[in-house]
Amino acid sequence: MSTLENLAAAVLLFGLVMYALFGGADFGGGIWTAFASGPRAREQRENLFHAIGPVWETNHIWLIFVVVTLFTAFPKGFAALFIALLVPLVIALVGINFRGAAFAFRHFGRRAVRGVPLIARAFEISSILTPFALGMTVTATATGKITLADGRVNIEAWSWATPFTLVGGVVGMAVCAYLAPIYMTVRTRGELQDDFRTRGVIGGLALGILTAVEIPVALADAPLFAARLLTSWATPIVALAVISGTTTQLLLWQRRYAWAQVVAAGTVALTITGFCAAMYPDILIGQLSLAAAAAPRATLVAVFAALPFGAAVLVPSLLFLYWTFRGEPNPEYPPDSPED
Amino acid sequence: MDSLLSSRALMGVSLAFHIIYATIGVGLPFMLMIAEALSLRTGDEVYHHIARRWVRPAGVLFAIGAVSGTILSFELGFLWPEFMAFSGPLIGLPFWLEGFAFFTEAVFLALYIYGEQRLSRRMLFFSTIPLTIAAAASAAFVISANAWMNTPAGFSLVNGRLADVDPLRALANPAWAHEAVHGTLAAYVATGFTAAGVYAAALLRGRITDFNRRALTLSLAIAGVCLPFMLISGDWASRFLARHEKPKLAAMEALFTTTRGAPLIIGGWPDPASGKVLYGIELPRLLSVLIHRDPDAVVEGLDAFPPHAIPDPRLVHPFFDLMVGSFFIMTAAAGWFWWLRWRRREVPVGKWPLRGILLASPCGMIALESGWFVTEFGRQPWIVQGHMRVAEGVTPNAGIGLVFVTFLAVYVALTLGLLWLLPRPTHEAGDSDWTGEDRHVNP
Repeated sequence: MSTLENLAAAVLLFGLVMYALFGGADFGGGIWTAFASGPRAREQRENLFHAIGPVWETNHIWLIFVVVTLFTAFPKGFAALFIALLVPLVIALVGINFRGAAFAFRHFGRRAVRGVPLIARAFEISSILTPFALGMTVTATATGKITLADGRVNIEAWSWATPFTLVGGVVGMAVCAYLAPIYMTVRTRGELQDDFRTRGVIGGLALGILTAVEIPVALADAPLFAARLLTSWATPIVALAVISGTTTQLLLWQRRYAWAQVVAAGTVALTITGFCAAMYPDILIGQLSLAAAAAPRATLVAVFAALPFGAAVLVPSLLFLYWTFRGEPNPEYPPDSPED
Repeated sequence: MDSLLSSRALMGVSLAFHIIYATIGVGLPFMLMIAEALSLRTGDEVYHHIARRWVRPAGVLFAIGAVSGTILSFELGFLWPEFMAFSGPLIGLPFWLEGFAFFTEAVFLALYIYGEQRLSRRMLFFSTIPLTIAAAASAAFVISANAWMNTPAGFSLVNGRLADVDPLRALANPAWAHEAVHGTLAAYVATGFTAAGVYAAALLRGRITDFNRRALTLSLAIAGVCLPFMLISGDWASRFLARHEKPKLAAMEALFTTTRGAPLIIGGWPDPASGKVLYGIELPRLLSVLIHRDPDAVVEGLDAFPPHAIPDPRLVHPFFDLMVGSFFIMTAAAGWFWWLRWRRREVPVGKWPLRGILLASPCGMIALESGWFVTEFGRQPWIVQGHMRVAEGVTPNAGIGLVFVTFLAVYVALTLGLLWLLPRPTHEAGDSDWTGEDRHVNP
């Protein structure tokens, strides 16, 4: 297994983590919009809505980054995954479209769209559905139920649907629902901040319980994955994720929100890294290795030669974007809001 | 429907839908940049207001473009996995670069749209520069992948397996240059005419304001400057086809038999059974002149190629004529406008010139879509010219028909939503946002 393939796999992991940390939080915003409650439900919705506004499209592109990296660096893996996982991918795509469109419609047409519950419901339902479908898609690679014969994936329409992937889908939702309120604690003040703090704690508990449940389910349903998770270098990463998650809860308890935000992101990054470490060195566990799925060396060389140039343009731009719209309660509203 | 037909239909519908938003995503940044530059240079706030009025449609359309583009990147996998397993190593690089370009575009569009109160006017303008460059670059990179399907390069086949992979040569494949130039300019023309139509409609409804006049002039200036280059790059493209994609050229021109001194056939219905074009207008020798600059030159017809490896001219020739016809309608409308503008030294707001612009306003999009039909139907039956047939690239999954119906419903819903939303006013007393009836923009 060459270094380049490992590097490409690392880029893929990086894209996945970034999508979860940024895109995932936007879906989480949609989930908590659906579950907004208490005397400040309206303010919760408004604040989530404004926080998602300027950045969700940029955040969404991490998903495209993952897909493009996958088909450039691991074309055979891409083909196998997209044949086998047709159903959850279609569900995720429909969700992505309705979420994006509903958000854009609400955002740029506040007056026109006010009082159209259909659009609000579409936004909320697709924010819940999409992470579920994507969670199932990712965890389906770990079950070993998607099999290959002669390098071709066997066509079994429901081979991806197992108890392990169903819990995986719920974990996907939990990741999103965990991040969004914790990110919101640094953007709000007073009672609203307390609302998001409570929701962050709930999200953390949910994520902790669900990932813990996933381990016995894996022992029964995805034995190879479970074995690797518990006996390889994935184990210390999982342990770190547990420590990090516990620390986040303590930080939330002490209202140290800036730190809680960072450590919560770390928890999610470590959880995903732990999953991928247990997958290593496969892209479809026990069936297709990263090495067998990889593109020819020349392609990987070209990709990595282009990376510094792309990054040199993109990284400063992204930093400037996040710096311009940094933290602090948002002073402005979208271009055509009633307040202007 | 079988999987192949459903897959082709779904990919076709998805691209036809996405192209509209992608085009505006390429064209509008350029118009924003020009408007903001004019405003800074002349100190005239009207140009800035025109640009800010585009923010709302830009935001909605860009969002739809981003999500419909996501559909496409997924569809490459679940409709054409065999094609991607073969060509991913070769067309991956342009998509990878496009990813960076699109990312950069999203960042600066967000800065421009939401940064009104956080950035200075100068910074707002500066953010449109990387926005425009990134948008054009992302168009050029995506087009590289399409050009590679037309003129695959950068690899060899040893026993049916890829060898000697050279992604840079694949990126800079022979058809890339003219396709990228023609396609990117087409986006500017199409966006310019779409915007011009909105302002022409407003002026026709009697809203003869300084704002609408200037916005119309600006839109038609941008589109008008690009139009002659469409003709030049179109000529470049057709002479390229005559060397590298002969069957496509023959299908475009509905030339069934190899002819010395070939005529240009305008309109008509190509009938493969009889090998004739019914009801077409023939201009003697003109095709030979256009392609080879020689009235006696030989142009190869469809009969010069094996019958199982040629496109169906019934799907290519009419779209080619539609594209060229749209070009002439736009040229006539823009030419009339600019002639009157030059003669009278003011923006013509008469009924007929404005109606002309209104008529020409969808022609940019029509030309762009039909040009894409020409290049795609003209490559059939190949998905990778000369190497892989469309039928070999398709997914082995059954049930794509259901997926097709699902996404058709998604597109219908999105389109209905947009048609409902875009013409709607945002300010209670204001009029259509695009036409700037009330001038106040974020005081």
